[in-house]
Amino acid sequence: MAFLTVENLTFAYPGKKEPAVKNVSFEIEKGEFALICGATGSGKSTLLRLLKRELAPLGEKSGQIRLSGADQASLSDEDAAYKIGYVMQRPEMQLVTDKVWHELAFGLENMNLSRAAIARRVSEMAAYFGIEEWYEKSVNDLSGGQKQLLNLAAVMVMQPEILILDEPTSQLDPIAASEFIQTVKKLNRDFALTVLITEHRLEEVVPVSDKMIVLHEGKALYSGAPEETITKLSADSPLLLAMPAAARLYHALSEKGVCPIEIKDGRRMIEERYNQNIRVLPSPASSTDTETALEFKNVYFRYDRHGRDVLSGVSFSVMTGEIYAILGGNGSGKTTSLSAASSLLKPYAGEIRVFGKKLKDYKNQSLFRNCLTMLPQDVQTVFLHNTVREELKGAEYGMNLLPIDFTRYFDMHPYDLSGGEQQLLALAKVLSTKPKLLLLDEPTKGVDAKTKQQLTSILKSLKETGMTIVLVTHDTDFAAETADKCAMFFRGQIVSVAHPRAFFRQNSFYTTPVSRMTRGIFENAVTIKDACDLCLQNGRKDEKRCSS
Amino acid sequence: MRSFEDLNPIAVSVYFLLITVISMFTMDVFLILISFFGALTYFFSKNGLKNPKSHLFPLLLFAVTALINPFVSHNGATVLFVLNNNPITLESAIYGLAMAFMLTGVLYWFRLFSEIMTSDKLIYVFGALSPKIALLLSLSLRYAPYFAQQVRKVKAAQTALGLYKEDNIIDRVKGGMRIFSVMVTWVLENGIITADSMTARGYGIGRRSRFSIFSWKAWDVSLLALSGLLSIASVFLLRNNVFSFYPYFALPILNAKSISGYILYFLLSLLPTIIHAKEAAKWRFLQSKI
Repeated sequence: MAFLTVENLTFAYPGKKEPAVKNVSFEIEKGEFALICGATGSGKSTLLRLLKRELAPLGEKSGQIRLSGADQASLSDEDAAYKIGYVMQRPEMQLVTDKVWHELAFGLENMNLSRAAIARRVSEMAAYFGIEEWYEKSVNDLSGGQKQLLNLAAVMVMQPEILILDEPTSQLDPIAASEFIQTVKKLNRDFALTVLITEHRLEEVVPVSDKMIVLHEGKALYSGAPEETITKLSADSPLLLAMPAAARLYHALSEKGVCPIEIKDGRRMIEERYNQNIRVLPSPASSTDTETALEFKNVYFRYDRHGRDVLSGVSFSVMTGEIYAILGGNGSGKTTSLSAASSLLKPYAGEIRVFGKKLKDYKNQSLFRNCLTMLPQDVQTVFLHNTVREELKGAEYGMNLLPIDFTRYFDMHPYDLSGGEQQLLALAKVLSTKPKLLLLDEPTKGVDAKTKQQLTSILKSLKETGMTIVLVTHDTDFAAETADKCAMFFRGQIVSVAHPRAFFRQNSFYTTPVSRMTRGIFENAVTIKDACDLCLQNGRKDEKRCSS
Repeated sequence: MRSFEDLNPIAVSVYFLLITVISMFTMDVFLILISFFGALTYFFSKNGLKNPKSHLFPLLLFAVTALINPFVSHNGATVLFVLNNNPITLESAIYGLAMAFMLTGVLYWFRLFSEIMTSDKLIYVFGALSPKIALLLSLSLRYAPYFAQQVRKVKAAQTALGLYKEDNIIDRVKGGMRIFSVMVTWVLENGIITADSMTARGYGIGRRSRFSIFSWKAWDVSLLALSGLLSIASVFLLRNNVFSFYPYFALPILNAKSISGYILYFLLSLLPTIIHAKEAAKWRFLQSKI
């Protein structure tokens, strides 16, 4: 008997004719790691919430949800709360108490366990997750990745039988995200914990999943092993965009057979099926000389007099009409340099020039008038009103620059939009100041694959209008596909700058999945398109001819 | 054994409550001086002489209290001199001095209290009174810094959006109001997630138990018992002791009963210092062996 059974589940929000979840059925065995994927608005989150009784939205529901044979409605309050663990998107908002140890104990206090029992469970969980180091810290002092691990630990301490995760890594940087997924997989492997997860970024999750359920417009399209499910997807499915590089290349080349999902499988596919005579793609000619839009000369900054330098001698220049991507680890000073460029922070040494003029010569906020604007990481900080309509009042200029129809969201609250939609709305807002220099901080954070692709084309078309764009990102894929130049930030300095192809070719570890997959086969393939072009140029081994 | 500040927060709080209440509700100069002496010895043995500037305010408080009383209150029979037709009396000067010692002593006890009782200890103490208040306090301590950080972010974002047209005050006030309304929405919208996270983990189902990293060990109980006994005994022995400031100043009467009362209070006031010194000595001893 399956551990979790969902049968003909249909759900509609009050006042909505179209159900958000339509006749969904699936089964999950005990100890299975199941991935639910689907585009934004496909009903993923609603489905997950329906599985956790306390969080189930109000509305019209039919169908059945059974947990080890028992109907969901028949579970006791205790079982419903403790046996189903639930972790959500935003790490900060899920934390309840001020200290790490108290957060771990919170659920156990609710279970009314004795002091000794709580002490035992909390300490073993802290040891298992390796959080003894920060046991007595304030939760506010933790990084985003640590916060989300703490949320996971605080749920696991209650010893749930099934763990439901709703896009748990969407707000994390790739390294923290990967660590989180590996921890969940470890729990799944070590304790036969049943896991049900949704994600935006599937590169890491797909290979560790046992089952993949594809949702489309509220309906479960496929359900099965990930390789089989991805193979079934059509080549133009928007879901493919989020899939691992190997799977995307498989579809881009219209390959046959079992779809590869891991880097090593993708590599084997190229090696076995394609010639490798042509190894290099021509690098585009370097841009002609134009004036500099943004220039940093030996800029130093620190937050605290006794602290360390966050920027220690940053020098770089961005040419007009360029998309310049700054990459680097957490705390390397990327975001700080953007704040310095928009004069929100004052460096203690060095010079910053915007369009040749020193920052301090921009008097009376004139810097922000038709000149420079910045979209911060947390896009909710730019929203001021209760509806999208009010939000966009006076932002017609920005709206017209984006190929998106905002009118259908007009009566919604900006916070109710998806992460991707929020990002685009915020972008429209900041663009309405008619900037010549646009600074973007982590534009792909919390954004789904489709919107990410949309962002790439939007930024490229903005560039055509003569706008200069500087973006800070963790997302190597996005940088490779969007930027004209990539720069590596490390410990307060820019350590290397190059065209994406050259940049990611030089890097062996901090690079795109495609670059890792084709290392040693091709010289400078960094995007799916690159790899696909090279494969097609070389031709298939079994065709014995070179197509171009 | 642990140092005084590491003992159970409830025991520590009870100690502070007793020592300060006794010295605040009496004008017995011996008690006041003992409490003052106890506070300062513990303060300096704990903190040393670092940060000398922090003693300026207590010194000022002492001087002001001691000086003001004789100029305001003209009670007392012994006139020292007359200023603007106002007699300045010896009794009033002594009373001012006693007040100064009392206030400064209590101030140092409070400083020690706030140094020792960090937020998590306070929550633990409140939790003993009401678990609901303790949880609320913990939530607020978690949100206040987070909220302040978000306000800074919103402000930066709006500056970069060019919403501040000119560098003037009206614009800044408008900006402040805008941020306030944004933050109200932010709290309401995001508070839902926190509430979800609480119910998802079974909050509100039934009785809650309470966990903390503080425990009761032999020494915590001893401190609680000892400070209780010493205070009750000294208050009992000194309850009828006679002294006066006006019209003539008279020191409290010293006899076998009252002297033993003072000694007990003296022990009470030195408890933290003794525990502290013992711990420090033990460490020095252990270190010399290593």
